[in-house]
Amino acid sequence: MHGSARYKVPEGKLVEVRIDYEETIKKIEILGDFFVHPEESIGEIEESLKGSGVGESEESLAEKVRRAVELGGIEMIGVTPEAIAKAVKMAVTL
Amino acid sequence: MKWRVVGLESHDAYFNMAIDEVMLERVREKLSPPTIRFYRWSPSAVSIGRFQSMEEEVDVEKCRELGVDYVRRITGGGAVYHDNKGEITYSIIAPETEFPKGIRESYKTICQGIIDGLATLGIESEFMPINDIVAGGRKISGNAQTRRKGVLLQHGTVLYSLDIRKMFTLLKVSKEKISDKMIKSVEERVTSVSAFGNFSINQLYGALLEGFTKGKDYEFGMWSKEELERAGELRIGLYGTRRWNFSR
Repeated sequence: MHGSARYKVPEGKLVEVRIDYEETIKKIEILGDFFVHPEESIGEIEESLKGSGVGESEESLAEKVRRAVELGGIEMIGVTPEAIAKAVKMAVTL
Repeated sequence: MKWRVVGLESHDAYFNMAIDEVMLERVREKLSPPTIRFYRWSPSAVSIGRFQSMEEEVDVEKCRELGVDYVRRITGGGAVYHDNKGEITYSIIAPETEFPKGIRESYKTICQGIIDGLATLGIESEFMPINDIVAGGRKISGNAQTRRKGVLLQHGTVLYSLDIRKMFTLLKVSKEKISDKMIKSVEERVTSVSAFGNFSINQLYGALLEGFTKGKDYEFGMWSKEELERAGELRIGLYGTRRWNFSR
């Protein structure tokens, strides 16, 4: 199945996710007008969410992103792990 | 530290993005001096942020029809229409150590150059986090930054005049939103230097030059042969490619 969702981060930018999934997330792309430094690390954030169950909680998904951010020394501006997690949940439930 | 200023010039979108990347590479290797450049886009172009989808943000067919370039930037942020006559773009490239450590703080510091420049024209403006400058409560400048291996690049535009209708034909806002109401609402949120007086684009350039070089030791310079050669490679091999521009 394919799902997508857009979420405007309060005080931030727009984040969009496009997801291919069955029981779990097979493929995910995160788009938007936010900033991620270094830019290449968006791939690590996407990777951290692959394999997550579609029933997983928003908090659990956010924690995965937070961990990727910490391990990768990534800085996000205009978007947060919580906002990405929220968009993911919207994409798999809409 | 001695800065190089490359004065106002015009290039296509692919060169404009390529030379910025060349400067990131070469300032890192200490092969090129820290540089401030001013430029316009010829032909007019749309640039999208690093994480945006070209198909989703840009009416590519319409761009082709009107001879407008479209390119993905190295930096994040949103889609921008760079009208050949409607704005001046700048890039500033230097070691990160020249700026405040935090990204948010460094935006503010670099944007001060624009604020100081506009002030010489009598236009009062202020920094609006994350990355905008507003005058009279409306956006007049958007900016974007990246850092690579110890080198900071910030580029941004200052609006000289506005053609909102053309902007909307090129940027994909859902068609039903391009009603007069929507255009009015953008006019209420965006402004340009021309709204503040009868300034020429050269006056705006002079103002930005003054604002950005204030307190800096600098001299005017041209691109070196090596810089142009490398920019030529990236123009054709990366920024002009479908692979890069449609990667999302």
